[in-house]
Amino acid sequence: MKVRHLLIGAAVATAAVWSLTTAAPAADPIKVGYIGSFDTDTGKSTIRGTEIAIEEINAAGGVLGGRMIELVKADTREDVQEGIKAYEYLNEVENVDFIISGCIDDVSLGWLERMAEYRTPTLDTWTSYVGIIDKVVEEYEKYKMYFMNVSNDYALAILYVDFGKDVLSKKMGWKTVYVLQEDTAFGGGVYELIEQVLAPEAGIEIIGHTVYDTNTVDFGPIYNKAVAAEPDFIYSIAAVRSQVPASQYVKLEVPVPMTGINVSAFAREFWDDTGGLGGGISTLSPVPSIGSEIDPRTQDFLDRYSAKYGDSRPVFPHFNGFNAYYGMLNAFAAAERAGGFDPLDDWVREMENDDIVVEKDGEIWLRYAFWKPGEIEPRTQREYTHNIKFDINPPYDEGAPSMVVIQWYSDGSTKVVYPPKYANGEFEVPDWLK
Amino acid sequence: MAVDRETLRYLGWWLAFGVLMCLLPLVVGTGTLRILIFAHFLAMFAMSWDFLSGRTGYISFGHPFLIGIAGYTTAILSFRFDVPIYYSIPAAVAATMVGGTLFFLPALRIRGTYFALVTLAFMEILYQLTKVVAPKITGGTRGISGLESIVSGAVNNYYLSFGIMFVIGVVLWLLIRTRLGIALSAIRMNEEAVRSTGHNTTKLKLFAFTVSAAVSGIGGAFYVHYIGSIAPRGMFEISFLFTILVAALLGGAETIIGPIMGAYFLTVLLEYLRPVMPGMERYLLYGGIALVLYVVKPEGIYAIIADAGRKVQEWRR
Repeated sequence: MKVRHLLIGAAVATAAVWSLTTAAPAADPIKVGYIGSFDTDTGKSTIRGTEIAIEEINAAGGVLGGRMIELVKADTREDVQEGIKAYEYLNEVENVDFIISGCIDDVSLGWLERMAEYRTPTLDTWTSYVGIIDKVVEEYEKYKMYFMNVSNDYALAILYVDFGKDVLSKKMGWKTVYVLQEDTAFGGGVYELIEQVLAPEAGIEIIGHTVYDTNTVDFGPIYNKAVAAEPDFIYSIAAVRSQVPASQYVKLEVPVPMTGINVSAFAREFWDDTGGLGGGISTLSPVPSIGSEIDPRTQDFLDRYSAKYGDSRPVFPHFNGFNAYYGMLNAFAAAERAGGFDPLDDWVREMENDDIVVEKDGEIWLRYAFWKPGEIEPRTQREYTHNIKFDINPPYDEGAPSMVVIQWYSDGSTKVVYPPKYANGEFEVPDWLK
Repeated sequence: MAVDRETLRYLGWWLAFGVLMCLLPLVVGTGTLRILIFAHFLAMFAMSWDFLSGRTGYISFGHPFLIGIAGYTTAILSFRFDVPIYYSIPAAVAATMVGGTLFFLPALRIRGTYFALVTLAFMEILYQLTKVVAPKITGGTRGISGLESIVSGAVNNYYLSFGIMFVIGVVLWLLIRTRLGIALSAIRMNEEAVRSTGHNTTKLKLFAFTVSAAVSGIGGAFYVHYIGSIAPRGMFEISFLFTILVAALLGGAETIIGPIMGAYFLTVLLEYLRPVMPGMERYLLYGGIALVLYVVKPEGIYAIIADAGRKVQEWRR
């Protein structure tokens, strides 16, 4: 009897231990690490997009057998060395399973070698630097855990050249441009591309170029210099404190039209930030953007975003907020099919195969999928392994275009003016130039 | 050469410090080691600054210029021209020493605030040059990434960075205890008086500038191979300069050991605050602590510890 009790007791204890040890991993959370700025609108957009995706996945019962997702964050202050420390912290201290990034170009480039060392699956939602994608193409084994779900700047530039040909050159009749470029890695990179492709492809000649410090507060002399060169238009590349050149352009009523890239104009708050002086500013923007028509699925995301964050800026996420949301869904769908993020090869294979197609009125509107190794983009004849599957060939039925051009009007409203499939407004010069 | 008892006692402390730090990987995780690696590099830069500015009184705001020369030289040679790093690193140190002599030229005519501003201009000039001159070589605004690592993993990099920092620390500390080091200190106090005693202050200053540049060169070259990339914004931003200055001043300038303490304090404090204060608030707290420390004891952490040591000795007597 005693022996039987002992045996039963041992069996119960074994079962209890077994159930505890097998149940424990299911209860362990999956850790997602956010790397990027905490304080900028772009950084907050990635954080919030990630948070909403995590809420959605957790509410649906979690992933990988009911495990909840937990977010840990590491601030980079948009500084290269802080970025490396932050990446190390997420891996060495927090032991994250997956990293989502809202970093700018040189910060991502800074931690890229750490990523290759730790082999942590990483998704970039903000930087568009084609050089990083080139690294994935050239050294796939080393960098295969890296994905970027914003169209690279080369693809952005190609479509911008189309805008230059169709609108700036053909419709507006502009043939010369003066480029104002902020002194950042992003600004320098975009200028190089503009220099390479805009002049020869769109027939627009660059007749002047000024690089300014991002702390510049008085743009009067800079605009005077540009105007003195008598260009048909000014092309502005401004990502940091970009509301300053925009609002001064309007306030000074600079007598030359201006377009280009103005990151602050991606935000709904741009109008207030410029004191209502944003009318006439246009900027290219990755999709989705303010002013663009929104598909039902993305509208649902936006409704949840508004309910959760209310009036806290940015009230409308930058494009990387959408990228973070859909990118998280990509990454965790891939993890679910691969059985987790480890082994890496299994997850990478599933991530390469994941494909979220978002439709509007029966047409492809957004697409969150990735270029696969060896796949050639037909127009540029280049590989873009692990970059978002953009489409730069009208009628854009393979994916979303790499960019749209949005226009701020003098009444504070915004519309998309290019490409035609996404356009719901007209490209305009400011009121004082009409 | 006769070595006095005090020097022997201090060498014993250096030895104990070395042994302790060598044993550290046995008891701490790789996360802590990663933090300490950054502290070691910061200590090298702060010691380099201290040897020049702390000793001679020529306040340099341009040390990132020297570190940048080393970083870009080894990065360009190894990445663009496939030069093995055991050649590119010495070449980088040599190039930095040449840069150090450039730094030295203004010191022949000016000192004080004017000298500091001229050195700041050196940093700004190199910042602009890396972006404008031959961007295909320097990588322009985005710099160069994918640099070859010397060793891999946290533990190996910890030992490498600590070894370099430790050797530099001991050598500089021994140097400042020589008559040469004392003469350099005298320059800080009264350069005219030193000259009137028959010493060639130009040669003395050139020596300090060259040694400082060599240390910056060694640190900068190993640093970029550790982080694997170099970008002008990361290298020449004013915040990088401030970090070096704060490490040296908070730890205790003119001491060599002080900048090491300052670098450890600064890096460890900021990184250990990260889990509880992931955003900007940890910089506010750190700034507050640094301010209080500096107001209470302007001589720095080294002086606080030295005072405490003396009090303990008095109490034991």
